[in-house]
Amino acid sequence: MKIEQAPPQLNRRAFIKKVLKGSVTGSLLLIYPMGGGDALDMLQPSTMPDMPEQIPGIRGKAYNIHERKFAFIVDITRCIGCGSCCVADKREYNVPDGYYRTWVERYIKDFDDQVYVDCPNGGLDGYQKPREDIDVQVRDTFFVPKLCNMCKETPCTQVCPVGATFTTPDGFVLMDSDRCVGCGYCIQACPYSSRFLNPVTHTAEKCTWCYHRVRKGLLPACVEVCPTGARKFGSLKDETSEVYKILKGPGVLTVLKEAMGTWPALYYLGARLEVI
Amino acid sequence: MSNYALRLIAVATTLVVATGIGFVVKAQLIPDSFGKYGHYRANAIDEEVQRPIRHGTNTSCLKCHTYEAAIHLKGRHNTISCEFCHGTYADHVSNGKKSGTLPVKKNTEISTLCLRCHNTEIKARSQAVIKTVAMPQHLESQEVKLTHTCNQCHHVHAPLKYINRAKQITGLTEAES
Repeated sequence: MKIEQAPPQLNRRAFIKKVLKGSVTGSLLLIYPMGGGDALDMLQPSTMPDMPEQIPGIRGKAYNIHERKFAFIVDITRCIGCGSCCVADKREYNVPDGYYRTWVERYIKDFDDQVYVDCPNGGLDGYQKPREDIDVQVRDTFFVPKLCNMCKETPCTQVCPVGATFTTPDGFVLMDSDRCVGCGYCIQACPYSSRFLNPVTHTAEKCTWCYHRVRKGLLPACVEVCPTGARKFGSLKDETSEVYKILKGPGVLTVLKEAMGTWPALYYLGARLEVI
Repeated sequence: MSNYALRLIAVATTLVVATGIGFVVKAQLIPDSFGKYGHYRANAIDEEVQRPIRHGTNTSCLKCHTYEAAIHLKGRHNTISCEFCHGTYADHVSNGKKSGTLPVKKNTEISTLCLRCHNTEIKARSQAVIKTVAMPQHLESQEVKLTHTCNQCHHVHAPLKYINRAKQITGLTEAES
């Protein structure tokens, strides 16, 4: 019986070459789908033909993170408490039930200067009924939409022990859920109760002013859906933007809890003294 | 070499090795881009930017829905977002194709939806911003059945469309847009 010789390409040298090639190709295949290439394409205007640019000067230009500044203005006199903003916010981020990145409060002030505030389901269902549990003569009543104040002096980022929350050079206070350990310090530190612990991921979460939309030249979701223009957002480096004009004009703008020295970038138009 | 010198070299070597290991472990534990802008991972900013967009704009919707566009843009409801009533753009369109059915409110649900903004009982909303009605007084004053839903007279996309047309035909009052 003749023993067949192994074919020459299966000698040790060829075998090692093949194994090496295989492992290199395999590891490349593992890496390839992870790449950020697709996401970078998203930033190009050509891939978002359906969505017109709402914040001028962002698309198709280099984004210098140190040169940008934005502001958010809530016009209390125009809020009708429909809750569109809350619905949009919940849908944009799939916020779990019972937690709110933004919400709308209803204030009622009587003639004894007592203030009653309620916020059924964060305003998610709108305000369908007048408040029935109090029997007072209403002197003043209004809605106050609340969201992250994007403070310049941020109490929440200062207390984070792991650097999971931070202020970006363009003024947004964001979360890094990969680093967050869910200790909840930031939730206690925030004077505006803007943060919560996500029951699914067990990490802190907050309103980002839709940073992912802003960087693509789109308005935050709540601003986009607001039917009355009660929520306004824009660049402070753009002299034609509505927020720039309002901030530069003579209107009375206030910030919440000014005495705490947090220097919010969220301004309120028409807010009464009682709003906290 | 004396015993003392050997001991000294051993201690020094241990120290150098321990420091080296310390630096290596530190480099391993500190994530990439940490400290670029501050005490945080600068890459977290880019990761936030890459979050998928779920809400489009009205322009995105009306680009395909031209029939609705012609009505919606002319009416008083032109500032209302399509996605508030119909669900998000992302749930409807993926890869440029329609997917799923969108929720559209029917019958009494529609009146609830309308009263979410137009209920006059909610005093906190400014009359200057939105026109409100009392129910069922509005139905009584218009002399229609109390079971009527809002959309039997008011087109949901342009609430005064039929009203104005009726006024034009009957010549009762000047039509308003």
